[in-house]
Amino acid sequence: MARHGISSRRDWAVGAGFALALTGLGLGHAWLARVAAAQPDGGLVQAPKFEVDPMFPKPLPNNWLMGMAIGVGIDAQDHIWIVHRPSTLSPAEAAADQNPPIGSCCSKAPPVLEFDEAGNLIGHWGGPGEGYEWPQSNHGIFIDYKGIVWIGGNGANDAHVLKFTQDGKFVAQYGHFGKNAGSNNFENFGRVAKIFVDPKENEAYIADGYGNKRVAVLDADTGRFKRYWGAYGHKPDDTNLGPYDPNAPPAQQFRNPVHCADLSVDDLVYVCDRVNDRVQVFKKDGTFVKEAFIAKRTLGDGSVFDLAFSKDPQQKYLYLADGMNERVYIMLRDSLEILSSFGDGGRQPGEFFAVHSIATDSHGNIFTTETYEGRRLQKFVFKGVQMVPRNQGVVWPK
Amino acid sequence: MWRDHRLGIVVAAVGCALLVRLDAPRAATPATLQRAAVHAFDVDRLWPKPLGHGWILGSVTGVAVDARDHIWLVHRGLASLTARTEAGTGTTPPTAETCCAPAPFVLEFDPTGTVVGQWGGQGQGYDWPVSPGGIAIGRDGDVWIAAAGPPDVLARGADSGDGPVPGERGRARGPAPSATPADAQVLKFSRTGQFLLQIGHPGRTGTPTSTTDLDRPADVAIDATANEVYVADGGSHQRIAVFDATSGAFKRQWTGHGRDFARVSCVSLSKDGFVYVCDRTNDRLQVFKKDGTFVKEALVSATTKGLGSVWDAAFSPDAAQRFVYVADGQDQKIWVLQRETLDVAGSFGGGGRWPGYFFGVGSVAVDSKGNVYTGETYEGKRLQKFLQK
Repeated sequence: MARHGISSRRDWAVGAGFALALTGLGLGHAWLARVAAAQPDGGLVQAPKFEVDPMFPKPLPNNWLMGMAIGVGIDAQDHIWIVHRPSTLSPAEAAADQNPPIGSCCSKAPPVLEFDEAGNLIGHWGGPGEGYEWPQSNHGIFIDYKGIVWIGGNGANDAHVLKFTQDGKFVAQYGHFGKNAGSNNFENFGRVAKIFVDPKENEAYIADGYGNKRVAVLDADTGRFKRYWGAYGHKPDDTNLGPYDPNAPPAQQFRNPVHCADLSVDDLVYVCDRVNDRVQVFKKDGTFVKEAFIAKRTLGDGSVFDLAFSKDPQQKYLYLADGMNERVYIMLRDSLEILSSFGDGGRQPGEFFAVHSIATDSHGNIFTTETYEGRRLQKFVFKGVQMVPRNQGVVWPK
Repeated sequence: MWRDHRLGIVVAAVGCALLVRLDAPRAATPATLQRAAVHAFDVDRLWPKPLGHGWILGSVTGVAVDARDHIWLVHRGLASLTARTEAGTGTTPPTAETCCAPAPFVLEFDPTGTVVGQWGGQGQGYDWPVSPGGIAIGRDGDVWIAAAGPPDVLARGADSGDGPVPGERGRARGPAPSATPADAQVLKFSRTGQFLLQIGHPGRTGTPTSTTDLDRPADVAIDATANEVYVADGGSHQRIAVFDATSGAFKRQWTGHGRDFARVSCVSLSKDGFVYVCDRTNDRLQVFKKDGTFVKEALVSATTKGLGSVWDAAFSPDAAQRFVYVADGQDQKIWVLQRETLDVAGSFGGGGRWPGYFFGVGSVAVDSKGNVYTGETYEGKRLQKFLQK
């Protein structure tokens, strides 16, 4: 087992020392970010500008409704894939599905939906089938460089990830329902939030998760565990840390959920430590690099839900979805400084309730999905890098 | 370099609103085939303007339009927001830094969708509702609000791993039903929120023929000429009760024709002096003279069960008021009825969270130009505008 992981005592000790040396730097970044965020409309800043597209997507066919929308991914054709939870629709909403029907509206859409660039629904599938265990509560969707669709699950007993072809044919399952054995186990996961596949090394980065407190790295073809790590590159420890306290020293472990683990073009792993209100950045081997705190006084679900990168070759900008404060932060990826933000609470276009997932297409457009009662896919059109307010509010088309 | 040349087209398309298709009537009887031309509607996707202040709406229970074409709404505020996930800056202590807190209970919008008035909540000399219902604007711009009590609790979908599904256990701390007397009153305020009159008292429902007591009244309508207020008196009363709009003195009442009202949920007055009553869970619209004499009725989407199909009613603004718009919060659409025959001429809407779609559309109002405004309760929590084409 040891050959699979960077789990020797010495490695952990080195990682911890490195983490301590960098903690001060990380806090410095956080302070800068907080100052930037605190300036109310404090002048303009050069940053990517976006406008919501209130015509996107097109209406769903078949009187279909979406439940909590907890994942969005973009494939090589710029098709937008989402995963949602049909089971979260109440009988009053899914009235046409009741036996006998309560009313004419509506029916539950299948859990995986594929939209083309114009917002037409062009594919749909998902649910239990032969040879695999569909998650109790699906969570996160990613389309890898081979076109494989990865899905996680954060149900109480979900301990696995699934791979499908784009037409919904089962490919592989790694881990097994009900078999979670904690953050130092090499066979199963603990309620996976998101997956990201590195095309260079053919490795899958697993944000693991709602039960475990680690990033796990697998061979993307075989599912073989290669390595894993916790906050600051520590060996993960599943001890319950209690509620997040913004006044306490930064937690030395992730809190649940570890909600994203996305890889940049320059081989850095950006991890959403959601309830700790922070992004942690690592090298691919789990070496801690830096961290930033986002809206640090946020309690409850936390502020760091998901992130995505801008589509310039350097991925200069980071877009971070905050489902508690209902906005998307536009950050410099290098410094983790917040330049600007857009969005606000509400049910109208460009507003959010629990903006949960975020992805960018090849044109730099942003797509978001909302969980809880938000239950939407929204598109924000990239308008180029311009002078924008620090706090853009709801970005409607002019 | 990494901009898309097609963006211009995308943005140009943004200005065009979705055409909301009017469905053909479900049963094409000769009468409905001979129907007059029906207006089509476009949803105005960018109306009203964002509220700002980190404000969000709770469940919207009433929408009305005044003589100046200002649009009024009343919503349930914090009691209808989920404390853990939705009301981050509205709870004590706050759980978020910038969003969200409930907007004031009563909002007044000008025709451009800008908030120009806001008030509501408990004050001296009156009992603010545990949960408001309908809203109506009276002769001098007075604002009437029914105290309808909390709506039915919907059965929830399955739980999720993302924490508690929004529901009762996650609700913000509103007035505790056990400690607070149940809603049983209607309130009259000036347009700026000065208290003027209260009919009924919380927790005192009396009998179904009481001349002083109400029980969770769902809606109010004002007869400016006669200076009377019509109350859709719900709960255990299920009647229309009429009072003097200045003194609050009881004048008359009546109950459902044929079958009793199962869930009286609206009362609206046409220009030619008829009283339209929504009998929600009977899927029934009943029409009376002002003295309570039954005139006619119609079943709307008679197969609808659950929450029922007839939630609220409003009229087209033409002199003859040729159309009645019926909000159906179960089937998530606005039915368009010919007022003369009560035949269904069409419908618009559908279920969903995107513009032009509904969840719990329970309120409808019309301005002088024929534009239709809707309010969504439950988790819809929106005010929407539909432009008459």
